[in-house]
Amino acid sequence: MTFRSYLLAAAVAAFTFAFSGGAQAHPHVWITVKSDVLFSPDGKVTALRYVWTFDDMYSAFATQGLDKDNDGKFSRAELAELAEVNVTSLEEFNYFTVAKIGPDTLGFGKPKDYWLEMNKDILSLHFTLPLAQPAAQKDFSVAIFDSSFFVDLSFPEGAKVELVGAPATCTAEAIRPQGADAAASKLTESFFDNLSASAQFGSQFASRIVLRCK
Amino acid sequence: MKARRIVRARGVLALILLGCAALFFVAPDVLAQSSPFGAGTPAPTSSGGIMGWILTEQARFFRSLSAAIREAKADGTAVWGLFWLSFLYGIFHAAGPGHGKAVISAYLLADGSTIPRGIALSALSAIAQAITAIVLVGIAALILGATARAMGEAVRVLELGAYAIIVLFGVMLAWRKGKALIQALSRETAPAGHTHDHSHHHHGHDHVHDEHCGHSHGPEPQELAGKDWLKRGLGAVAAVGLRPCSGAILVLVFTLSQGIFWAGVAATFAMAAGTAITVAAIAILAVGAKGIASRLASGGNGAGAIAVRGLEFTAALGIIAIGVLLFSGLLASERMFPA
Repeated sequence: MTFRSYLLAAAVAAFTFAFSGGAQAHPHVWITVKSDVLFSPDGKVTALRYVWTFDDMYSAFATQGLDKDNDGKFSRAELAELAEVNVTSLEEFNYFTVAKIGPDTLGFGKPKDYWLEMNKDILSLHFTLPLAQPAAQKDFSVAIFDSSFFVDLSFPEGAKVELVGAPATCTAEAIRPQGADAAASKLTESFFDNLSASAQFGSQFASRIVLRCK
Repeated sequence: MKARRIVRARGVLALILLGCAALFFVAPDVLAQSSPFGAGTPAPTSSGGIMGWILTEQARFFRSLSAAIREAKADGTAVWGLFWLSFLYGIFHAAGPGHGKAVISAYLLADGSTIPRGIALSALSAIAQAITAIVLVGIAALILGATARAMGEAVRVLELGAYAIIVLFGVMLAWRKGKALIQALSRETAPAGHTHDHSHHHHGHDHVHDEHCGHSHGPEPQELAGKDWLKRGLGAVAAVGLRPCSGAILVLVFTLSQGIFWAGVAATFAMAAGTAITVAAIAILAVGAKGIASRLASGGNGAGAIAVRGLEFTAALGIIAIGVLLFSGLLASERMFPA
């Protein structure tokens, strides 16, 4: 009977395993990221300037009902309220951005110069994300990802990071997550095998900027 | 007397094991809290290769839906490609983690059923979910011209309603199954040679079998008697059906923007067909697991009855746990871009 109890529990456990995957989902929104790094006159990093371009399906969804004058176009004014909501709500998600100097994570100020733009049914969110304090260039890096993976943020192939006002000695590299070129999606088996909720799981599917100054 | 004590000890052991199984079932979701962004942004939990593969396929199918919709707009015959993709997306999407099949299968574990009934409940909940999405987008976007944000808020209200139903449904089920468990336990502690009295057996589905049911395979006749299985399962259908899936809403709004809303409606039903197949497969597993458990436990003594009642009660508690976690936002539901 004890053996049977074990078997019974094993049957239940095996069964519940079938749906106990936890809080996972696949992305419903894809964002192509363009990110520039802004510098202060004294050569410190002050802000990230983003253009996030959404996929066509989400673009249609997000702009649903916003063409107030029904002219078939979305003016910047018609999209202003949504842009405001976007940057405000993004704070909760830390703008899907982790900026670091070495191992230390940097804080952000409120986004500036933000607007939405609809171009051929494709929506783009422009915003500048200032660092709370200007940061030294040395060992500056940025990782861009949604930890819950509802939103897929990636650099396009061959992406370049523009450095605005940077010392001439600086270069920046845009690094796409490994495997991003191979598949339509960044989800690979090894990605999930290595994924753990504890440390640095985001590093496995983040798009990164690495700054190097001589 | 000694034999009876051993039987009781085994019953307790079975319950402890079931408790562990229940923990296994809820724990990954609770552990998912830790996140670099703090509360409100649950992190993905670790997962094996199979789940990774399922998620890859989901993302792939979902990603190709928008291209299929554009093709369908340009060339009417391409809608079949869209429907086929939607169907496959439904299959894979439902195979990933989600509250729908968790609730349906936990319900089937708790309140024994047959395979056809498990399939019927799965299909009904998938169809209900499709109709919710179509009615929501139809009224909000097509008729009222509502914004994405307003629709998001409507979805949020529906979600909270669905989660509240899960909790209520779980509490009602746990109450019923808790009583049955206590009944089974009290029989076990009753003096030896106890002959049971059938006069209190008017609650068909609460009926506890013991000695005379050693040959029982699968669900018990009294549980399945009567036509109230559908009524009892309706809570599960409502809980699943009330929450529209984000993918369906995106497809519906996108087809609306492309002027082929009807194709979006048909694609949503194709998704529901796919979803129903996967959830039904998991429901069959649930019915099968329950059958195996009942058979293993039917050793001709009270400990077996206790173990089965314990399993049912645990599954009902599991439904409450799912509902509470979802309601409190501790368990992530699908989120789109923050808006």
